Amino acid sequence: MLGKKQFDLGMIITALIISSLLFISGIFVGYSINQEKLSSIEKTIREIISDIQNFQLQFLFIDILGKNATCPFLMDTLYEINKKSYEIGLRLESYGKESEIKDYNEFLNQKREYSRLLINYWLLSNKLKKSCKTDFNTIVYFYSRECERCDDQAFILTYLKKTHGEKVLVFALDGDLDEPSIKVLKINYNITSYPYLIVNEKGFAQFMSKNDLESLLNLNII
Amino acid sequence: MSTIQFITMIVNYVAWYIFVFIAVMWMLVLFNYGEKFKVEKHKKPKKLPTVSILVPAHNEEKNIEMTLNSLLNLKYPKGLLEIIVIDDASTDRTIEIVKNFRGVKLIRNKKNMGKAYSLNKALKIAKGEIIACIDADSFVERDILIKMVGDFEDPKVASVTPALKVFKPRTFLEKIQATEYLLNIFLRKSLDAIDAIHVTPGVFSLYRKKVLEEIGGFDEDNLTEDMEIALRIQNAGYKITNKLDAVSYTLCPPNLRSLFKQRLRWYRGALQNTAKYKHMLFKPHYGNLGVFLLPFNFISIMAVIAIFLLMLWNFADSIWKFLWQMHLINWDFMIFFRDMKIDLENFMLNTMTTPTIFMLIGMLLGSYLLLKSFNVSQEKFRLHKLGYFTYLIIYPLIMMVFWFTAMICEIFRVKRKW
Repeated sequence: MLGKKQFDLGMIITALIISSLLFISGIFVGYSINQEKLSSIEKTIREIISDIQNFQLQFLFIDILGKNATCPFLMDTLYEINKKSYEIGLRLESYGKESEIKDYNEFLNQKREYSRLLINYWLLSNKLKKSCKTDFNTIVYFYSRECERCDDQAFILTYLKKTHGEKVLVFALDGDLDEPSIKVLKINYNITSYPYLIVNEKGFAQFMSKNDLESLLNLNII
Repeated sequence: MSTIQFITMIVNYVAWYIFVFIAVMWMLVLFNYGEKFKVEKHKKPKKLPTVSILVPAHNEEKNIEMTLNSLLNLKYPKGLLEIIVIDDASTDRTIEIVKNFRGVKLIRNKKNMGKAYSLNKALKIAKGEIIACIDADSFVERDILIKMVGDFEDPKVASVTPALKVFKPRTFLEKIQATEYLLNIFLRKSLDAIDAIHVTPGVFSLYRKKVLEEIGGFDEDNLTEDMEIALRIQNAGYKITNKLDAVSYTLCPPNLRSLFKQRLRWYRGALQNTAKYKHMLFKPHYGNLGVFLLPFNFISIMAVIAIFLLMLWNFADSIWKFLWQMHLINWDFMIFFRDMKIDLENFMLNTMTTPTIFMLIGMLLGSYLLLKSFNVSQEKFRLHKLGYFTYLIIYPLIMMVFWFTAMICEIFRVKRKW
């Protein structure tokens, strides 16, 4: 046997320190990107808010300008907002699921604001339906964290939205959210289980397959 | 977040931390021992030692002629050189070919006994102070021996390893292996710098005969006797060095099947030997080999396997999810053509997650080490070799499968074969 071998304790410690620093900065960059995601969602929500305000304003024109002049505008705005709002809804959802480190309160605040907006928008579109005598379908979709078939339901709704475009407006709301306007709807429709769907103002307390929904919707409209 | 997602996340982070640590460690070796990577002027040894070159061969009719020719061409005094071919019961023309060579001794095994047995048998009759081992599918540059023997002037040195390259890689798989060998040239020199070489490849590694005899020759019941002997030499406290400019060439498996067979043997051997020398793990007595190299080799194998399993799981999961969703919409495939617009901003934000960032850091460090390897091994880096960098993406994937299989074979003790 020959003597002991040398080992570079210093080098191993240096490597530990440097790799820890690299690792932490990696995590930090990931975190900043998460923040970036949130602020990008925030930006879109601001846009939607201003769109909805615009929508409300246009609504007032009905009384002055008459339906014939106003309705086409209103329809355009409606579809435009719906495209954006559904997308942002999806992004809010996937963000809530994926993100590892998050400013949870900030996230909830955004979600509440977004939900209020969405309900407001749903009510307006129902009003529009009557005032302008046009036809389109509205689906309000309540989901929850503890819900077995919500992912499937969301996927089917996304599919319908993609397939039928402007004929179907989808409003996705988080039933777990502590938000008064959601509670009003929950009491009103007696929502206790998820997924819960309000298709053209009629409530359904069950998972609805693609065929179920398509038979309920009025898709023969232009 | 579900439990499985949580586990995935933790395993991912631990694995990436280990990889970042190992990459940083290599960088530091490069930084601290930079002067070792310069090709040194060879001080000619005062007295050239006698050398016996052992060539174990089993059905090598295709390549042995090339091997022997390169050995006979060695720039070394003929009187100090001895070449011994050990025929391991070949059934082809190997013996016939060897008999045509003058100045080559031939000994024969009656039955196929394996490489280590053949080497030990030859060791008994070898006259040289230094023993060189070379597989019969490999060959050497003319000046290799004269460049290597100088290191033996240090009485603590028991073995000297060369820089091993793949001979004229043609196919994509061969090129990708050639890249791996280049990276290994650099890594082996780094290991030399921190006195932690743990493999003396069977492609012209030199050994001091006295030490081989002292530690009992090659292990005849080992899948990778070239790793076992290196660990035994280290265990006994001797040094193993590396010569960057002493170049030997080998042929590498040309297809995935033979590569798989080779790697399964190597990696099972690595696991077997790590288990055999587990007393060296984390022991400062064995220097950097014990404290850093062996444990981290093992831990990174575990990390590789963990990442492989997670990838497999995620892949199966997404396939299942896709099929299920297709079922939900009555297999309406047209949906993919309806929504092809790509939201670039959203795409960037979704892809740039923390693991991706680590992967990028890893690729960056890997690319640097690879460039350095080209430099160190005197291979000119040309633009058409840019393809070699696919190594960084494809090879880890193939290796994961190999390591995983090797691990499974060891755990379930599938019969070991050569």
